[in-house]
Amino acid sequence: MSAVVEASHLTRRFGDTTAVDDISFSVQKNTIHGLLGRNGAGKTTLMQLLTGQDFATRGEIRVFGENPVENSGVLKNVCFIKESQRYPDEFKPRHVFTSAPWFFPNWDAAFADRLIADFRLPLNRRIKKLSRGQLSAIGVIVGLASRAPLTFFDEPYLGLDAVARQIFYDRLLEDYGDHPRTVILSTHLIDEVSNLLEHVLVIDEGKLLIDEDAESLRGSATTVVGTRQGVDAFVADREVLHRDGIGGLASVTVGRLSPQDRARAAEMGLELSPVSLQQLVVRLTGSTQTETALEQSA
Amino acid sequence: MSTVTRTAPTEPLADGHDAGNRILAVVRLHLVNRYSVFAVPWMIMGGIFIVNLTIWWIIFASVTNESDRADARDGISYSGALFYIFVYMLVLGIQAVAYTFPFALGFSVTRRDFWLGSALTFITLSAVYSAGLTILAAIEVATDGWGLGGTMFASFYFGGADASWLERFGLYFATYLFFYFVGAAIATIYQRWRNNGMLALFGTLGLVLIAGIALVSFTSSWPAVGAWFDANGPSGVIAWSLAPTAIAAITGYFILRRATPKN
Repeated sequence: MSAVVEASHLTRRFGDTTAVDDISFSVQKNTIHGLLGRNGAGKTTLMQLLTGQDFATRGEIRVFGENPVENSGVLKNVCFIKESQRYPDEFKPRHVFTSAPWFFPNWDAAFADRLIADFRLPLNRRIKKLSRGQLSAIGVIVGLASRAPLTFFDEPYLGLDAVARQIFYDRLLEDYGDHPRTVILSTHLIDEVSNLLEHVLVIDEGKLLIDEDAESLRGSATTVVGTRQGVDAFVADREVLHRDGIGGLASVTVGRLSPQDRARAAEMGLELSPVSLQQLVVRLTGSTQTETALEQSA
Repeated sequence: MSTVTRTAPTEPLADGHDAGNRILAVVRLHLVNRYSVFAVPWMIMGGIFIVNLTIWWIIFASVTNESDRADARDGISYSGALFYIFVYMLVLGIQAVAYTFPFALGFSVTRRDFWLGSALTFITLSAVYSAGLTILAAIEVATDGWGLGGTMFASFYFGGADASWLERFGLYFATYLFFYFVGAAIATIYQRWRNNGMLALFGTLGLVLIAGIALVSFTSSWPAVGAWFDANGPSGVIAWSLAPTAIAAITGYFILRRATPKN
């Protein structure tokens, strides 16, 4: 395994705001990474920095061992699909797919044609006239068919329906199996992609909160549910990630539990349930406590 | 993933050999939508030409006295009808940076390759369109103004009826280049500094203009300015436009080198 992306102490400031704040991480070759976080957390800025579209205020970036800024040798191996991609005025989808192979050496036209059929994308309609979902489909098709060794998807499927999203996940996994490459996917639909991800990066307010293997992350938190007294006693000496309460009941999210912990919880009559990746991200990047009155559901 | 055979990993390709290919790819990208780049300008030109032709015909039909006709022909030779086509090129220059630049960066093009490819595109298109105008001007002169004494292509500003084809081609070419590069350079300022850049640009241009007028007025130099235009003639002025064109081409490059496309 070798690092495709290496960032150290990466910082990007815009005036008073620090969009990316002293982030260091590396991305291993041929893995699917999830880049998760709330709106405005700095995901897009981070991806713009990694693809040479934006300029770091401080810190260093290495993509395929080199600085990506204005480096065509690096960039031709990179494909960056973003939700807000702008297209030339009067362009039709067919112009995009005609020109893509000139820029992406690994472009697979047959695969692109298949995806165009899958997404039912009209090729001869002006891009300004397309629906939001069809616009997203263009990006998704370019991102998949370009087969760039390093592909970024930034919120690639705004407006895509559930069927189209499933097609995207299926084709991505399928093609990733045949042509392994490094994929960095930023999304809000965490539950939908959680089985896809091999590694997870979570950022909030420009800071990197989590940089962990998806598998170990899935078991890293547990929700303990039971009577308030029982739960309080159980979690007394633990770090609490999140707490919900309804009347005499409490639901508290804590970190990783050992088998002994689990046995003890069972003895105390407490219920344990795994925390999904989405819940974990919500707990880590949202508010930490909610106490709700009886009539409200937690 | 363990059941899937990993047959063909997408390995990063080595650098070097194809820097020129990336620049040519940008040229092709600019030209991929042939309708906007080739059909629309000639359609605009055709429309203007038909309107002019109609006006010439009206004049030709209603003015029968020979000396009055000569006067009318003289007036028509100052035709500015071609100006519209150059404005369209200014718009194409702006769009190249405003729309195609963010798109090209999405296709992993460097700013350097984008600007060089765009410059090559502008030069190529200028040459093609200038050749077309030169041919039309030759036809216009040969047919004595399309049989109606009209002037659109061989106008006073582009050497008049007596200019050689080479001179005419050069004048068209320089004019096209000016509008493409100035349009593109203005758009780079927007890409780099957004609205503040536009305000600063036009604010500065306004101040420079006023300062220039003040300078010329206070030093009573208007006759000298007039003499300069008179001495250079339209052809000379167009030749001088190569200076701002070159400045636009060079500053546009350096402005774009640090620009980040936003939505």
